[in-house]
Amino acid sequence: MKVSRKRKGQSEIPTASTSDIAFLLIIFFMATTKFDVKEGLSLVLPPAAKEGAVVVKLTEKDMTKIIITSTGEIMWNSANLGFFEQSVMDSRIKNALTQNPLMIFSIKTDRGAKYNEMIRVLDRLKASGAEKISLSTN
Amino acid sequence: MAKIVLKKRSNVIPQSSMADIAFLLLLFFMVSTVFVQEKVFWVERARWPLADAIQKIPRNHTSTVYIKQDDTVLIDDVPYSMDDIESMRIAGVMQRKLNNDANMIVCFRTDRDTKYGIMSDVLRQLQDIGALKVTFETQKKME
Repeated sequence: MKVSRKRKGQSEIPTASTSDIAFLLIIFFMATTKFDVKEGLSLVLPPAAKEGAVVVKLTEKDMTKIIITSTGEIMWNSANLGFFEQSVMDSRIKNALTQNPLMIFSIKTDRGAKYNEMIRVLDRLKASGAEKISLSTN
Repeated sequence: MAKIVLKKRSNVIPQSSMADIAFLLLLFFMVSTVFVQEKVFWVERARWPLADAIQKIPRNHTSTVYIKQDDTVLIDDVPYSMDDIESMRIAGVMQRKLNNDANMIVCFRTDRDTKYGIMSDVLRQLQDIGALKVTFETQKKME
C-alpha cells in the first residue's frame, strides 16, 4: 500500500505587508517631525581688547554714534531723533552710507533700555546693508 | 486560415519595489530629522522682537541663551542666577561649549522687554572667551 507523504509546508516570511509597515513609519515621522528653524540677526562681535593692542582713533567721518537712552530715545551723533521711527532711521543710515560706505556704526545702549530698542536699530542697520556695527553700553 | 492569437498585455503596475521606495523615504526622514534640544521654550516666540533683515541660522552649531524679563538666564535649559553672571560662571560654561565646538553660534532668545544691561554683561563674557558669533533671534515683521 502506498502511503502518500504530506507536502512540506513552505516556510516563507510573508513580505506583502512590508510596504504598509514602512509607509506607516513614514507617516509617523512626517507627522511628528517639527522643524525648529532658527532665524534672527547675526553679528560677529569684535574680539576683546588685549593689553598692548594698537589703538586706532576714529574720526566722525568714519564712525556714527547711535545712543539709545533708558527711555528709548535715540541720539544720532548728539542730535536727538526722539523715539524710534523707521523712515527717519533709514534715511539717516542711507545718507551716512552714501558719504562713507565703510562707515562704522556704534550702537551704545543704556543698561536700562529695553532690548527691543537695540534690535530695532540693529535691524535697520542690517536692512540698509551696514556691515561694520559695534555694540556697547554705558 | 490559422487564427492569430494576440497575447493580452498585463496592465498591472509593478509593486515589488514599493517597499524599497518606502524604506528609502523612511531612511531620509530618520537621517534628516533633528529633534528639538530645548525642552521648554522659556521665552515664547511671541515675546521675541520683530525684525526685517533676518537670516536663517544653521542649528547644528548653536547654543541657546534665554534671557527672561525677570533677568533669569538659561543656557541650553540650565538656569543661572545674577551671581553666576557676576562671578563669570557663564564664561566658564560657554568656554567648555566652545572647546567642544569651535564654530559655536550663540543664539539669544531674549524677551523684548528685557533690560539691555544683562544682555551686555553676557555679551562681554562671550567676547572675553572668544565666542564671537552671536545671533539675536527675532520674529519676521509682518507688513
